[in-house]
Amino acid sequence: MNKDKDAIIKVRNLKKYFPVKKGFLKRKVQYVKAVDDISFDIKKGETFGLVGESGCGKTTTGRTIIRLYDVTDGDVIFDGTNISNMKEKDLSSFRKRVQMIFQDPFASLNSRMTVGDIVGEPLDIHKLASGKERQERIYYLLKTVGLSKEHASRYPHEFSGGQRQRIGIARALAVDPDFIICDEPISALDVSIQAQVVNMLEDLQKELGLTYLFIAHDLSMVRHISDRIAVMYLGKIVEVAKSEELYKNPTHPYTKALLSAIPIPDPDVTHKRESVTLEGEVPSPINPPKGCTFRTRCKYAFETCKNKEPSMKNLGGDHTVACHLLDNKK
Amino acid sequence: MSNSKVNMDSIPEDMWEKIDNKEKESDLISRPSLTYFQDAWRRLRRNIMSMIGLVIIIILILTAIFGPFFSKYNFSDQSLKMASLPPRLELFKIDNENYIYLANGLKIYSSTSNGEIINLLNPIKQDFQKKIKVYKLNGKEIVLDFSDKPFKLLNENGNEYPFYKKVWNKNHLLGTDDLGRDLLIRIIYGARISLLIAFVATLVNFFIGVLYGGISGYAGGRVDNIMMRIVDIISTVPLMLYVILLMVVLKPGLKPIIIALGSVFWVRMARIVRGQILSLKEQEFVMAARTIGATNLRILVRHLLPNAMGPIIVSMTMMIPTAIFTEAFLSFIGLGVPAPLASWGTLCNNALGGYRSYPYQLFLPSLAICITMLAFNFLGDGLRDALDPKLRK
Repeated sequence: MNKDKDAIIKVRNLKKYFPVKKGFLKRKVQYVKAVDDISFDIKKGETFGLVGESGCGKTTTGRTIIRLYDVTDGDVIFDGTNISNMKEKDLSSFRKRVQMIFQDPFASLNSRMTVGDIVGEPLDIHKLASGKERQERIYYLLKTVGLSKEHASRYPHEFSGGQRQRIGIARALAVDPDFIICDEPISALDVSIQAQVVNMLEDLQKELGLTYLFIAHDLSMVRHISDRIAVMYLGKIVEVAKSEELYKNPTHPYTKALLSAIPIPDPDVTHKRESVTLEGEVPSPINPPKGCTFRTRCKYAFETCKNKEPSMKNLGGDHTVACHLLDNKK
Repeated sequence: MSNSKVNMDSIPEDMWEKIDNKEKESDLISRPSLTYFQDAWRRLRRNIMSMIGLVIIIILILTAIFGPFFSKYNFSDQSLKMASLPPRLELFKIDNENYIYLANGLKIYSSTSNGEIINLLNPIKQDFQKKIKVYKLNGKEIVLDFSDKPFKLLNENGNEYPFYKKVWNKNHLLGTDDLGRDLLIRIIYGARISLLIAFVATLVNFFIGVLYGGISGYAGGRVDNIMMRIVDIISTVPLMLYVILLMVVLKPGLKPIIIALGSVFWVRMARIVRGQILSLKEQEFVMAARTIGATNLRILVRHLLPNAMGPIIVSMTMMIPTAIFTEAFLSFIGLGVPAPLASWGTLCNNALGGYRSYPYQLFLPSLAICITMLAFNFLGDGLRDALDPKLRK
């Protein structure tokens, strides 16, 4: 496979454990396994969707890849360089090429800075532009995301949620990155604004040749924007497939359940389709179930699921699934 | 996606309609852009009590700085003849041009009709068995009979001089103290010292507290734990004990008070800043700053501290009256500035000896302390509302 060749980022066996500290001396007694041994590649120019329910480790994955969190174990190889153990001061060039768009447009902008300063800060830090050039660049960036240059002297609280998210996108674009991690960039927005922002992200991708890691819990929106989608459950990836393939042919029981939860605006279809509802709560990531982590909520679970952790199996055409049911079928 | 493009072309041209320019401008914001502090000032202005407080503080500061230039007295000028004159004088009429004021301690002053003290009269004859003193003013004999209260002022024929009226003391507006020093100028100098100590101590607290709290909160984890335990230890040492010990080591004066207040009061500020930073650093804008490669110093100075400024300013404003009061208290118990310097606390202390005869000497500096503390508290209260709109009802 020539997958490795044009992969812009390769994640190998990535783990992120958060210690649970107790007592006066803050001894580490347990670990929350937020991300537990996941691997995937993202190709240049594609949009890689990452879905899963709340608390499954999507956001942690994104933040670990961009090194907001230290990596517990595993490798993140960006454009041939392993950045998983780099010191912060060596990450400067990485920070210039990888950016992030945040979930909450109200929390992700510093309310004491003007929009111009927010967008211009990456330019100051990386010394990319100064004086008049900086000004021009800020105006250009604001124009790119559909704001005007009059907005540069204003403060974030004067803008609506959609506009604030555009400001966040302009800040991410300031350093001219190759790869952007979108951490649920639309989940805090109105539906009408969601479409605007997603369309803008698509346009920017075409114009600037960006690669996205698109994290979301809303499958319909991810389907619209993503080329390939990975489904996460309790810190592990359970299924990866091309987006059409995933929707046509979901294989993992968890993916099936997620897909059946998408509302379809047609009562007839909704009535006919088989609905797979999940029962029970997500197990605690401090002490996940042995074997397959999903077995506690899976109605197909059998003996093997308790003992053995399923490995990723390739079904052909970039479709990989981690489930023991596949062995049974064969 | 591609479908929609085909459809657009197939719409006949005459069905298209030009929209006017209004649509383009729908994104414009017409409200004037206000910075955080402009917005806070707008809210503060509506709060009458804090505006009164602010005006009082400004007047107080201006008086403390410029007041002494307009006074003919110096804070250390003594005049024992003029000791303990009150602000209000009860005058007795001798004749049309001569009036006298009978002070406590059987002293008689000659005065003008509008309350300008001319001189202390010396008795020409004293008889302690009859309990009379005889004075001479402008050829007229005045006999002070102090055998029975109220004391009487008689002329040579044994008739009482008539009570004229109460007038303001024109020489010393607020009277004089027990050494004849002008009380007004001493209170103004006291304001200088009290305010200076309060401001310097608060400023020192601000820098130490913000730095210490900022580092502790931002570093987090074990560093935070250790730094906060140190704060706990410092805050358990009783301030008085600490100040008294410091006074023993250092010579009494301005410096040890400032050092004492500065080195103890920052504890509260450090806790406030640390709490703020701790909650702010988890917010996404801090992560955003890290993803664009901002250094820790930059994040702390440009992102975290400006966002924590509201509570910091409020607690600084609240710290000033506390510092003023502590300084007054220290001076009052004799640990304050040395004579002849005066702070409000030392003035109160001086007045304590004669407060039954000269209550104004105690009352006036106390009033100054009260007004100042109230003014700062009102302002701080208003600032808290103005800087944190979420707290408002």
